[in-house]
Amino acid sequence: MIDPNAVDVALPRKEYEGEAARPAQSYWNESWERLRSNPVGMGAGVVVLLMVAIALAAPLLSTYVTHHNPYSIDLSATFSMPSKAHWLGSDEAGRDTLTRLIYGAQVTLTVAFLAVAVSLVVGGTVGLVAGFYGGLVDNVLMRFVDVLLSIPAIYLLILLTILQPKIGPIVLSTSDPRSLAVIIAVVGWGGLSRLVRGEVLSVKNRDFMLAARSIGASDLRLISRHLLPNVLAVMIVAASLNVGAVIITESILDFIGLGIQPPTASWGNMLTNAQTYFYHSIWLVLLPGALIFITVLAMNVFGNALRDAFDPRLK
Amino acid sequence: MPETLLEVQDLHTVFKTKAGMVKAVDGVSFEINPGETLGIVGESGSGKSVTALSVMRLQRPGKIVSGKVMFKGRDLTKVSEGEMREIRGQDIAMIFQDPMTSLNPVFRTGWQVAEPVRLHHGLDKATAMGVAVSMLGKVGIPSPATRARDYPHQFSGGMRQRAMIAMGLTTTPKVLIADEPTTALDVTIQAQILDLLRNVNRDFGTATILITHNLGVVAGMCERVMVMYAGRVVEAGPTVDVFAHPKHPYTWSLLRSIPRLDAERHEPLKPIEGLPPDLIDLPTGCAFHPRCRFTIERCSRDVPVLNRVGETQLAACWVTQSGTELKGA
Repeated sequence: MIDPNAVDVALPRKEYEGEAARPAQSYWNESWERLRSNPVGMGAGVVVLLMVAIALAAPLLSTYVTHHNPYSIDLSATFSMPSKAHWLGSDEAGRDTLTRLIYGAQVTLTVAFLAVAVSLVVGGTVGLVAGFYGGLVDNVLMRFVDVLLSIPAIYLLILLTILQPKIGPIVLSTSDPRSLAVIIAVVGWGGLSRLVRGEVLSVKNRDFMLAARSIGASDLRLISRHLLPNVLAVMIVAASLNVGAVIITESILDFIGLGIQPPTASWGNMLTNAQTYFYHSIWLVLLPGALIFITVLAMNVFGNALRDAFDPRLK
Repeated sequence: MPETLLEVQDLHTVFKTKAGMVKAVDGVSFEINPGETLGIVGESGSGKSVTALSVMRLQRPGKIVSGKVMFKGRDLTKVSEGEMREIRGQDIAMIFQDPMTSLNPVFRTGWQVAEPVRLHHGLDKATAMGVAVSMLGKVGIPSPATRARDYPHQFSGGMRQRAMIAMGLTTTPKVLIADEPTTALDVTIQAQILDLLRNVNRDFGTATILITHNLGVVAGMCERVMVMYAGRVVEAGPTVDVFAHPKHPYTWSLLRSIPRLDAERHEPLKPIEGLPPDLIDLPTGCAFHPRCRFTIERCSRDVPVLNRVGETQLAACWVTQSGTELKGA
């Protein structure tokens, strides 16, 4: 260890005196500043946050605001128009549409965010490892991804839904939101891993990686402490753009009857259910459709805003 | 005679490419004593950097095919990767050519300067940061406590190189390898960084291997110099003697090619004729013979070995080994 005062190799300090003109701005701070100055992007972000808040508060909202249970059947009030009792009307079993939409948001957003989180972890890890080690490791992993990406996702999803594979004690069943999220993630991490790998390839040969190696950093440390933070921005942007895609996928699965099963409400299966009554009660179709549309749009706009914020050169 | 600190023996490092095997380092030997400054000079592609990287075992994708790197009684080409990690940054530190890219852009500079002591001395964050700040101060960063919180992009090139040097010194390494530390900097900053390296060498007793293609830097910094050409050492010896009486035509031509301030106006420059050799397909015999103005018949036939020429120098040249003096306009 060095005694800080034992030696002094400093050049005269005077000539360098003076503070930096601006306080330290981290990459993340600057990106946040740019994001904040983008009103459309921030608006979209607020919409997404609002949806999340509503989904989280579903039990509270149904108790104190709508006064309905998403499953309670009331055969005396089927297909009621929007009214004081049912703000957004009711369906063929007299269930309150607003309450079911709120609970549907819970299901849909759980699936979306969880699926993206899982594919970030899996795809990110595979991409980091493949890009960092290169050679045989890279080849094996990326050919596997190629295979995965060459099979139409919908077939894989249908297959997984039917097989309901067991991973230890956990059964992957599409009727459970968390399982459905994992299934969608298992099918969908390939693209992300490719993206991360590409980014890693461009970062790993930069001098600071060699410099980090030269001070004795291990591979794990190089990957997690030096590589990951440099590719994190790309991962975040890709993930936020993926959320919208997952919502669509989940709605499609629900719609064709392979996703969340009734009576659990999801936006997708509410749509399926409502198609029978298209001419009869169009709001049953329009409302979940509109929510899917708004949420996906908001997520995509927000994702684009994030990308612009992280990489202003792309704009 | 102090005990040798680091000894490289007959090191061979190759790179496999599609076009063939590149012998980047082809039988290099040298040693360095504690506190000494050794200069390694040569043009681009002469194997200076790969030699240094091979000592640290960072030559990937190149491969060390033979030779020894003896340090503290161990052969670094043989020790495990884990042991090597212990040595890197703790016993041997390295400074790179381009300070603009050698610091990780996403971390605060202080964090990075503190990384070696955290890795090797197991210091906690706050203590390590204290060491980093005091070291930043010592290498001449003003208000180091504040600047440690800055990101690399807020540093100038010279300050980044200072930060890199600080990072290398936090663990008081025995050997500091500086790979063209001033190439990317402008001239006034170059002088400051060289001053700093000189002070480091004096005050910390760190043996310094200075890799450069700048002969002036070697003259001002190094006690001994080693000249490389096409992956081989062509001449080695005390800097004063090598510069005064070069014993290899390459060194001789290099020194002659430097424009002099006191030269006649309009005097033409004296470049070394020809091009650096293709490392995949080296000329037979001495790699320098196609460009050499003293070449004799034997030069194109036999590879010259490094042998004593004169009192203090070693040279790999058939001409000077046979006693001929290098002279010419």
